[in-house]
Amino acid sequence: MSGTTAAGNTGALLTATRLRKYFGSTAALNGAGFTIDSGEVVAVMGPSGSGKSTLLHCLAGILEPDGGTVHYDGRELSALSDAERSRLRRGDFGFVFQFGQLVPELTCVENVALSLRLTGVGRGKAESSAMEWMARLEVDDVRDKRPGQVSGGQRQRVAVARALVAGPRLVFADEPTGALDSLNGERVMELLTGAARDTGAAVVLVTHDVRVAAYSDREVVVRDGQALDAATGIGGAP
Amino acid sequence: MIGRWYRDLAMGARFTLNGGWAGWTGTLLTALGVGLGVMVLLLASAAPSVRAAAQDRMEARAPAYLEEGARAAEDTVLANPEIVEYRGDMFTGILLEPLGNPRADVHPPGIDRLPKAGELYVSPALRALLGSPEGALLAERFDGASVAGVIGTEGLRGPQELYFYLGTDALSQDPDRYAVSGFGADRPASGMTAMLVLLVVVIIVVLLLPIAAFVLTAMRFGAESRDQRLAALRLVGADRAMTRRIAAGESLVGAVLGLVLGTGFFLVARTFADDVRLPGSGVLPADLTPVPLLAALIVVLVPASAVLVTLFALRKVEVSPLGVFREGADRGRRLWWRVVILAVGCAVLFVPGQGTNSEGAEWAVAVGVAVALTGFALLLPWVVEAVVGRLRGGPLSWQMATRRLQLNSGIAARTVSGVTVAVAGAIALQMLFSAMNDQVPSAGDPDPERVRMLASAMVETGAEGTEFAHGIDGARGVESSFPFLVAHLPLADVPPRADGPQETRAVVVADCAALDRLITFSSCSDGDAFVAGDRAAVRPGDRLDLDNARTGDPTAEPRPWTVPPVREAQVADALAGQLPQGLFLTPSAFPAEELESLESTVLITLDGSAPDAAEHVRNHVGVDSPAIYLRALDQVSGNSALADIGDALRAGAVLTMLVIGASMVISTVEQLRERRRQLSVLIAFGTGRSTLAASVLWQTAVPVVLGLVIAVAGGVGLGLLLLRLAGLPVTDWWGFVPLVGAGFGVIALVTLASLPYLWRMTSPEGLRTE
Repeated sequence: MSGTTAAGNTGALLTATRLRKYFGSTAALNGAGFTIDSGEVVAVMGPSGSGKSTLLHCLAGILEPDGGTVHYDGRELSALSDAERSRLRRGDFGFVFQFGQLVPELTCVENVALSLRLTGVGRGKAESSAMEWMARLEVDDVRDKRPGQVSGGQRQRVAVARALVAGPRLVFADEPTGALDSLNGERVMELLTGAARDTGAAVVLVTHDVRVAAYSDREVVVRDGQALDAATGIGGAP
Repeated sequence: MIGRWYRDLAMGARFTLNGGWAGWTGTLLTALGVGLGVMVLLLASAAPSVRAAAQDRMEARAPAYLEEGARAAEDTVLANPEIVEYRGDMFTGILLEPLGNPRADVHPPGIDRLPKAGELYVSPALRALLGSPEGALLAERFDGASVAGVIGTEGLRGPQELYFYLGTDALSQDPDRYAVSGFGADRPASGMTAMLVLLVVVIIVVLLLPIAAFVLTAMRFGAESRDQRLAALRLVGADRAMTRRIAAGESLVGAVLGLVLGTGFFLVARTFADDVRLPGSGVLPADLTPVPLLAALIVVLVPASAVLVTLFALRKVEVSPLGVFREGADRGRRLWWRVVILAVGCAVLFVPGQGTNSEGAEWAVAVGVAVALTGFALLLPWVVEAVVGRLRGGPLSWQMATRRLQLNSGIAARTVSGVTVAVAGAIALQMLFSAMNDQVPSAGDPDPERVRMLASAMVETGAEGTEFAHGIDGARGVESSFPFLVAHLPLADVPPRADGPQETRAVVVADCAALDRLITFSSCSDGDAFVAGDRAAVRPGDRLDLDNARTGDPTAEPRPWTVPPVREAQVADALAGQLPQGLFLTPSAFPAEELESLESTVLITLDGSAPDAAEHVRNHVGVDSPAIYLRALDQVSGNSALADIGDALRAGAVLTMLVIGASMVISTVEQLRERRRQLSVLIAFGTGRSTLAASVLWQTAVPVVLGLVIAVAGGVGLGLLLLRLAGLPVTDWWGFVPLVGAGFGVIALVTLASLPYLWRMTSPEGLRTE
């Protein structure tokens, strides 16, 4: 566990310190810290409106914090340009959101291959890699269907395949089972964490469901804009 | 760099092509909108070809007269163009007469031989008119000539031109005057004055700018659903530039498809060109060929515009992985740069010395008008936003509409911008056109109870003149007639010049009853003499030569006649320009019988209550009377170039309004389609369809009303600037009323046309899919 390691910890894949984020006069994050090592699965928990999604968005470089820093692999995210952060999202990061966020116009296999195509990989090779991941996540039978034509569980597994196809080092999952029934939810979590562990990818898993959090190595609770290690009750990071 | 652009544009294009039914519908609507615009642009790009081809055919049929002084041979063709006026319309034809046995290939294009005397070749339009009840009276004028054939299109200006070739034997009375070497003479294109050029340039800008505005609007259809797609792309790692290029690629498909559709529409429209009743002579399909350079510009600029418009539209849109945010959405639109563009346009039109006679001024005017009209279009979104932001209360449909507009008025304003530009431009044009039309001289206000005509013919003696006058007098519809003679007499004491026009003075001889109609005087009795016009030109005691046929013969002895004492008089207002200024003499005051060349003229007063009285008089004279000149007084003499431009303006305005109307239907359907989910939620809550329909109407009507207010203010302002440039006074302050009415008509039609879609979308079956 590295939940309480100091900022700049050389073993940490991503470290956030004293993050502050305001929406108007409301503080969504109020000095939150967070750290995650390579291959680690960390669940971020907390009640609705506690700031856990905001924390994930700041960690992934989607939102720019108003204060504090996020270091990924030795680089401070806020110092990177939009193009550099986009490159990180294409190669190093993967995303799974509650509603999949798939491109409705593309077929499932085209959606999975999308991040590879954006990096310049040819269509045939990208879709071949995509099919491998789809088979692994048991959705290869819906390859030519559009997201609107498949079930919610299949859609989330396609999203997981998309998140993993480029070989990311860090996967951000925001309520990945929030729109699924428990059976489908469990299957998605098994496949997500299993595939991540096989590839050595770390996973930041935002959830309010303890059954989902059970798939993690460590839990961090966000409350009043601050992250606390669930085991020790002290800050998720300095 | 190029590879990256290509890859991203191609990816965007693939999103569109793979988009399934919903995506295809959106793309198709965009393509339809762009296609309609492209069709009009292609039609406009063919206008120079149409004009050039018509001019070529007119040149090819023009008689090539023999050189001055050359004499007709025994096998020469004689030809004389004849103008026919029928119920206010004028058309022309040619009287033809072969002398002896001319070469078989000497005939005008469109017919394969010269007509014999009494034979008539007619254009298809004239054949139809002559065969219809409306043309029965006109048919009488051809005096029983038999229709020998129909003139082919190669001999016509356009498919709907009224034109004829009539075989005659009347021209051989003066063969040298009418002899031609063949057909096909260089006819210099009727030159246009700087004011006409200004009018044409403004018309082109005014008609094409709304089309361009709509094409640009159509390219932004479907922007809302596209936003979700772009956010998903950002999530998987597309950077900002990449996202914009992908979005541009999506628009590119619609634009290219629109280009294809527009070309198809154009080709279909071209096929039916000769069936469409257009003002003027109509257009032959073969003539509707776009100028290659203009067509190439359209092919390049339409897709390029799609890319640029998308990149421009996204410049202030932050597409993040979490969604799309519009920068400054809460700050509102800025006014200053819109006003600057408007001011620049007006300033270009206001630059001192930028008169219509300046070299290249038409381009400055075109730029000024285009920029000013663009300024109006750009002002509209700000005005709509500013006004709808203050709207409150009202019934539910009104509330729904205003709230929707407050949330995003940009789409509605953009859709209306085409109408705003079209109406503003048309108002300015109407003001300019009316003012120019009023410059055309008129013989006074027409008085239906006192229609008058002048008929004249060259005669050799006064007796012949009397005979001619009596002939006219017998025409049906003639109420009274006043014959008089006109002669031009050389100055007896000035020797004739062999190398130039001889100085002459006009003499009009008539009895007091006729003089009373021609000039104003206090009293008249036989033997009186009057002078009208420049008194210094003819004075009592001056000697005029009665041998008025001696022109050009310096050796001939003059037969002098001395001008008697004269009283001053003035030519009646209604005859100004129709009668020469000079001496007006009663018969006893002048020896008319000694003249050898004079013009017998009859002033005819028609029975105002008899319908077609003027046509009966024209029929009495007939077409086959080249020596008789008949003209109606009390009516505006036409300026054919201005009339042609007016025809083109009306045709263009109708086409533009139709395209804008059709485009607005497409735009409204597209907006409803984008909002179908919200609409289905409203229906699920129990909102009545009529409430939704009223809401749709309000959403269209509010921006349109504001657009029309801007259009009226802007159009009148622009019109004033153009009139200032042309140096003309305002003659028509209320010309905008019908145009505003047409604008409201378009809105009503658009709303009605989009209601079936709303009905279907809000039906239980439509709701289920949402």
